[in-house]
This record gives sequence, structure tokens and C-alpha cells, in this order.
Amino acid sequence: MGLSDLFARIRTGDRVSRQEGLFLLQKAELLELGSLANEIRFKKNPEPRVTFVVDTNPNYTNICNVDCIFCAFYRHPGGAGEYTYTVDHMIQNFKESATKGVTTVLLQGGVNPALPFEYYVELVERTVKEVPEVWPHFFSTSEIIGMSQVSGLTISEVLRRLWDAGQRTIPGGGAEILADRVKKKISHLKGTSADWVNVMREAHKIGYKSTATMMYGHLEKDEDIIEHLEVIRQLQDEHHGFTAFVPWSFKPGNTPLEKIIPHYATSTRYMQIIALSRIYLDNFPRIQASWFSEGKKAGQIALHFGADDFGGTLLEENVHAAANFVNKTNTEECIQLIHGAGFAAAQRTTLYDIMKVFELREEAAA
Amino acid sequence: MSFNVHFRDKNLSPIWHKVQRGERLTLEDGLAMYRTHDILSLGKMAHFVQQQKSGDAVYFVLNQKIEHTNICVLSCKFCDFATKKGRPDAYEMTTEEILGKLTPHIHEVHITGGMPPDWPWERYLDIVRSISQRFPNTDVKAFTAVEIDFFHKKFKLSIEEVLKQLKEAGLRTMPGGGAEVFSERVRKLLFNQKIGAKTWFDVHKTAHRLGIPTNSTLLYGHVETLEERIVHMIKLRDAQDETGGFLTFIPLAFQPGDTGIKPKNQFTSAIDDLKTIAISRLMLDNLPHIKAYWVMLTEEVAAVALNFGADDIDGTVGGEKIAHDAGAVSPMSLAKDQIIKIIRDAGKIPVERDVYYNPLNVYSDNVIGKIPYLNSIPFYANFEKRQFKMLPVAPRRMGMLSERGGIDAGPFSLVDYLRQEDKLELMGWCIATRDQVKSVMLFSKEGWADLQGKKIGITDETTTSVKLLQVLLEKKYGVQAQFERLHSGINDYSRFDAVLLIGDEALRRNKYGLDGFELVYDLAREWYEWQKLPFVFAVWACKRSLAYTTKTELNDLLSRSLSASEEDFLAGALLSGARIGLTEKETQEYLAGFNYRLGERETEAMGAFGQLISEVEGMTSSKEAIWGE
Repeated sequence: MGLSDLFARIRTGDRVSRQEGLFLLQKAELLELGSLANEIRFKKNPEPRVTFVVDTNPNYTNICNVDCIFCAFYRHPGGAGEYTYTVDHMIQNFKESATKGVTTVLLQGGVNPALPFEYYVELVERTVKEVPEVWPHFFSTSEIIGMSQVSGLTISEVLRRLWDAGQRTIPGGGAEILADRVKKKISHLKGTSADWVNVMREAHKIGYKSTATMMYGHLEKDEDIIEHLEVIRQLQDEHHGFTAFVPWSFKPGNTPLEKIIPHYATSTRYMQIIALSRIYLDNFPRIQASWFSEGKKAGQIALHFGADDFGGTLLEENVHAAANFVNKTNTEECIQLIHGAGFAAAQRTTLYDIMKVFELREEAAA
Repeated sequence: MSFNVHFRDKNLSPIWHKVQRGERLTLEDGLAMYRTHDILSLGKMAHFVQQQKSGDAVYFVLNQKIEHTNICVLSCKFCDFATKKGRPDAYEMTTEEILGKLTPHIHEVHITGGMPPDWPWERYLDIVRSISQRFPNTDVKAFTAVEIDFFHKKFKLSIEEVLKQLKEAGLRTMPGGGAEVFSERVRKLLFNQKIGAKTWFDVHKTAHRLGIPTNSTLLYGHVETLEERIVHMIKLRDAQDETGGFLTFIPLAFQPGDTGIKPKNQFTSAIDDLKTIAISRLMLDNLPHIKAYWVMLTEEVAAVALNFGADDIDGTVGGEKIAHDAGAVSPMSLAKDQIIKIIRDAGKIPVERDVYYNPLNVYSDNVIGKIPYLNSIPFYANFEKRQFKMLPVAPRRMGMLSERGGIDAGPFSLVDYLRQEDKLELMGWCIATRDQVKSVMLFSKEGWADLQGKKIGITDETTTSVKLLQVLLEKKYGVQAQFERLHSGINDYSRFDAVLLIGDEALRRNKYGLDGFELVYDLAREWYEWQKLPFVFAVWACKRSLAYTTKTELNDLLSRSLSASEEDFLAGALLSGARIGLTEKETQEYLAGFNYRLGERETEAMGAFGQLISEVEGMTSSKEAIWGE
């Protein structure tokens, strides 16, 4: 198999096999891979425009029974610094965010077994009713599995109840690496790859949209990354429920895994992952660059390696912050970063509808 | 090299044609490159030049930074470091305090600081001298042109005298700071107390003449125009044509901090950073290295820059900033590990270097040594890379790296091969001459017979040619001379009676002459006329421990590359020849003088030479400290 033949076949629209994906990841020159991904990006989305959302990532609890070794955020019940907020508290939090222009609230836990299912339903219902300015983009798959366990309902029933309460999208977190060999090591209580896929499948069947994520840069091998991409590509073929793919790298600070993996993943690796995912995930409409997890400058570069969305402004964020990894921005800077990368910036909703376009003034791209 | 750039921006195509032909780029080309949004194509063009210059090597150094004081007579707008004597944040370090801060295993210390009103000249010399004496493995890179100019004025010494005394004290190279942007308009706006372009160049060119290589910089991302950036690069390129003394170019992204200067954006965009790296690689065709200085660029941009033209990532810089706090591991070793990881992830060879960019250690497998001379091009011109990585390295350095296990295969200098025969396995190729060579030359003030007792400067790059010279002197002409190694920076040849040069430098001097050295001897011709045998300068060999399949694949690749090169005369070789100043005909004739296949006559010649070396080494004459590495 020659690289140039493979490149030519991909240009004609051929789907990349697992073996070819691995070959691209391991053998292709960085800028060759990037150019191909960029070409595909412009074929799918010809506008030289990058979307972003004004959002926030609060947490309603940091109590968690899943014990992932890559996480510095969670506490056990009764542990120092634990918290669980009331629905009233959260609604107040959302209202404050709304006054700052936030349109999407990405809300997650902890998986706190002491919370009854009604808590979650009430959160959704009251958000929709009392803070209509924001869109509830709530609960990772782990929390949904947790709800099924406390309520005795099936996953599908849980999702149906949340849908009836007014929820329409769910975030893609908790996937980590969808290869059980790795998942068992880094998050043995979080469930298998099939559990994540199952929640997503049930959600997409009902009509939910979601993102898909991947966390790399820990114990995975290249083959595991390909496995992950393959799993979500297959699932996407079923219902087309994924709106975007969001890869990010493991942040070792303050986590048990730090002893084994002391270094951050490099930005070269990030660009490879972004480009490869654009090429491999031929049925995904968008690839998201994460300025937040990889750095603002890495985020800008990723927009030339196949990404076409810049994620959110993240008014509040606690999980990476617990790993001493802090990046802050605001709407104005977000637009400036996108312009600086040479693109028009477009504010979007959770479902990627464009609200407002901020055109690129040429001198800003200098 | 099969290389297709698929341009999104068609304005780049004419530039790409020039780059492939090795033509110089103009101001307009530079501006067109800055205007493009097609940064990946720009990156690929720069990466092409990067690979021509440095193969797959990315250099780093174990280094530390010393800022001896923050007290400064100047008050530059863009500086939030300097202060005045008597203020609470002011500090001054004694020589002992500086020595106490240094760790022994670093190879380079970078010293710059404020310019205090009351330090005596001797205090600066003492810092340099004390470090050189106390830390013999640590080379001193110190004082920007601004500081040198300050010494010149304050101590009433000429710039040349300042530099001479610093060099005697142990100064090896100089940093490139203080260049900012070579524009009077910008200087008046931002740093009117600092030296202008003229003084900066005076200092650097004087340093180069004295054998002190220096770095160069550009401070960008404040109020300068894109045109001013390109003009800056062109001025550096012109100066480099004159002296050849710049080692590396370092674009520095401006950081507003508390400086009170308000640029258009708070920080430069990553795209601007990458463009500046790539454009500088393309514009500065005569600079050996382009540095992605991670401390200012950020690690994220520096890492990607290694595929956008940068072959230099500075170093560990004391390890304070690059590493997060991870328990027992020292910040320095963590910083070194992280730098190695960044370079490897970029698909490159991490090469630990000294102050002159000589490789000290290599942290990669499957490294192929590449002699960066015109005569070796046929081996590599059609070499498809596969899993192998190329490290351009002078013959003697290849031998030294191989002793440490850093080279898996390459054309080893014959003497290095003979010395490491137990570890190395011959492959079927060599670099052998028929009768003359034109690139292993003795430039002499005296005839052979009159070299008795005279001092001969020996290029830093050779192990075999120097042995050949010794054999010729002692066995053919019966004279004994003293040898002295030149260092790998710039050298003053005038104090020698003869100088041995090899490679492209020898070719160039053979054509254009070396001032003051009337007599020019071709060592291969001297050998041929005496022994009636070819001379084998280098033989291809690989580690015996290399996997069998790897050896086979490498053999196939080399064989195909050499055959293809012989069939189809090389555009690349003509280009390299043109850079040295050779016509197409001269390049063709030069390459036709080599035999690359190790045959019977070559083997016989190796035997004869080996015998003569052992005879010479058995005698206790013209001994020098050259071999004691």
C-alpha cells in the first residue's frame, strides 16, 4: 500500500479502513495529512468560516463513584471539598450565565448515587421553563447509566423521561477511548465501550443529537484510537445523531495516572488526531478544535488541519481546572482567535444553527 | 525526492518554483507568503528547505539562562524586566552567586542582563572567565549587541577590543537579542534608547571576524509592518552573505505583559507565528538554523513549527517553565524528556548539541548519517525515506556519534570504520577517488619538504584526511609537522603555515583560492602518484546489531538510489554545486571523479593505507592531541 495511492483514493471519496487509518496515523507526514483533512473540510463546509458557541460548563456535584484514574475533579461522599447543589442553586447559576449571553449550558456531575432520578428531571424541566435563554445540554452517558440504576428504569426510559422534560441534546463526554483494553485500566467502574455506545444509540433513536468525544494521550495505543473512530463511525451510520467529534488530550496534573504519564501530549499529536478524525469520520459533519483543552494557539492551528468549529467560550469550567490546566476566554477573544487564524467567526447554537457572523477584516489576519 | 504541493493559494506556485531551484526570494515573495491563508502549503515549502538543510534533525541544548542584574541605565518601553538601582526589585549577582546557580551537566549558558551604571569592566570578564574555568563542559554564550555597545562606550574600548577580551576570557558565541526590527521608524516609536541596525550589525560582523559566531533575532507582533519584517530578514541575509557568522535566526513573538505597549492583538496568532517561522526559513536561505523558541512561542506552537521550517527548539532553559511539578523527577530531566518527546512526535531526530551546533547525542532509532558534501549526494538523491531518518553530520562527528551508538548506518570516514570494525559491518559502497579529489586539500605557505616542524591547521570535520596527510608527510616526504585542530566556528587561518580543509569548503577554496596560501595540494592526487591506487575516504557501514530485515531494506534503498542517481544526472547536485560556485560542467566533472562501489582496487587501497597508518602510529612523531576525544 503506497501513501500516494491511498491519498488519491481518499480524494475520490473512498472510506478509510482500519488498517489504512493506522497507516495514515503512523506514516503520513504531518502536513500531508493536514492538507488532505483541510481539503475534505472545505469540501464539506466550503465557507472560510468557523463556528463557536457561547456556553458554560458548571457542575451540580463533584461526588462520584466511578473513580477514574485520569480525573482530578471528583470526591467521594463525605470527602473533603465535596458538594452537591440544589436545583434552585443551579437554576440561579443558569440565570446568571444567561445575563452574560450564554446560550448553551453543558451540565455534568459526578455520578452521585444519592441523587434521586426526580432531581435530574426537575433540573431539565425548570431550566426549559425558567431560563428559556439557555439550552440544556445535560448529562454524560455515565450519569444516564447512574439514573437508570437509581430509578430502576431502562436507559431508553430514562432518556424518554428527560426528552419529555424538554431535553434534546446530550454531551459526548465519558467516551474516553472506546477500546475496553484501555477503558478497564483507566476507568474500570465507568462501564464498557458498549455501555457508552448503547446510551448514545438509544438517545439517537429517540431523536437526540449529541457530540462524540475522545480522550487520548494516556495508556492507549494507535490501534485503540482507530478502534474508537471505527466504533463511532459505525454508530453514526445508524442514526446520524452525532453533530461533531471533539478529541482532547489527557491532562496529568493531580491525577493518579500522572505517575505513569507525566507529560502532556504534544500539539503535533493533536494535529494528527484532528486531521485523521476528519479523514476517517467521513459521516461526521464537524470536527471541533478545542482551544480550551489544547491551548488557544493549538486551537487556531487545528482550524487548518481539518477542524471547522472552535467549541465554546466556557464561562465556567471545573474539571480541567482541578488538573491545574486553566484556559480562559470570552466571546470577544474567541472571535479574535478565529479571525487571527484567518477565518470569519460565526456564533452558533447547540445544534449548530448560525446566530451571527463576525466577518474577517483582512488586516486582522496578518 | 517526490514532492507535490497542492496549493490552495495559487499565488504561492511561482515561489515554489523558485524554492525548488534554490533561487533567492524577494521582498514581494515574502509579502505574498505573509498574505496567504494557505499556511499548510507555506509550511510544506519551508519543510522542504528545512530537510535540505538539516535532514530530519532537530537540535536542542541543555542550557541555563543567567540574568546577572536587572538594573539598567536604559528605560525601553517594551521591557518589563529592567529597573533602577535602589528600587526594591533591583538585584545584582556576584560571580560566586552565578557559579552557584549553574548545574554542571549543561552545555551552554546564556548570559544577558541589564546595564548597570557602576559595574567595572573586569566584573564582566570575571563572570565569563570563572564560568569557563569552573565548568569546562559549559560554553558561554553572552551579551547582546546592546550590551557590547554599552561596554564599548562606558569603558572606552573599541568594539573589537571588547569582543577580543571577552573571547580570551572564554566567550564562545553571542545571543541575537537587541535586533528588534531593523527599522528606524519602529526604533523611534518603541526603543529610541537602544542601538539601531547599523550598530547591531557592526557588533555582529566584528564578532564574526574574530571567530565568534552569533545568533540573530526579530521581535514581531507589535507595531511593525509585514514589509518591515521581510526587510529585516533581507538585511540579515545580506550580512550573512558577507560573514557567514550567524548560526540561527530566532523570531520572537512580542509579549505585551506590563510594558504599556498596545499591539493590535494581545498575543500574536499561532498562524502568524507559524508563518513567520516558515517565511524566515524560506527567505534566509543562507542561515543554517531557524529556532522555534518555545519559551516565547509556547510549547504548542514550537512543536508544530518543527514541521514548518524550524530545526532548532532551543533547550531546557533551566527547566523551570516547561515542566509541571511532578513529584520526584527533576525539572531539568523532565524538561529534557518533554523536549525529546516533542521532537519525536514531530517525526524528527532529537539531537542534543553543543554551542556550535555540533551533535553530542542522538535520541532516535534508524538514524542514517548523511555527509553534507556534494560528493555524497548520489547516495541520498533518490532515497525514499521509509522508516529511516537522515542526520546530516560531518565525517568526524559521525564517527564520534557512532561510538555512542547514535548512528545506525552511514558513509563512515575510513579511519572511523577501521577503529570501530568490531561494531560495524561493511556495506558494498564507498566514497573513493580515482586519481584526484579536489575536495581534500592542503593550502600551504610552504612546499612539502619545508613543512618540517611547521604548524598545520586541521579542519574539525575530518578523521581520515588528517591521517592521509600525516602518512604523506612522514612516509612520502619524510617530514614531521605539528597539527592543530581548528574549531567548528569561524577560524583565523593566518596564524598557520598550512591548512587542511575538506568537503565543500575545500572545493570552494580550491576554485577561488585561500588568501595567503599560494600552494594548493590535492591529497588524493599525492596518494595516487605515490601508490598508484585509488583512495578510499569513506565506506558505507551499518551497526552489526541492526536487524537483518532492516539491513536488507537499507541495502535495497541505497542500491536503488545510487543507480537512479547515476542514470539521471542530478538536479540536486547541480544546485549544490551552484551554491559552492561551481558551473554545471565543474560539478559533473567533480562527481565523475568518484567511484561509489567498493571493488578489489578499493579494498587493496584500504589495506595499503591501513598498513601505512600503523607504521606512522608506531613512530613517536608529529603527535598531536587530535585523537583524544
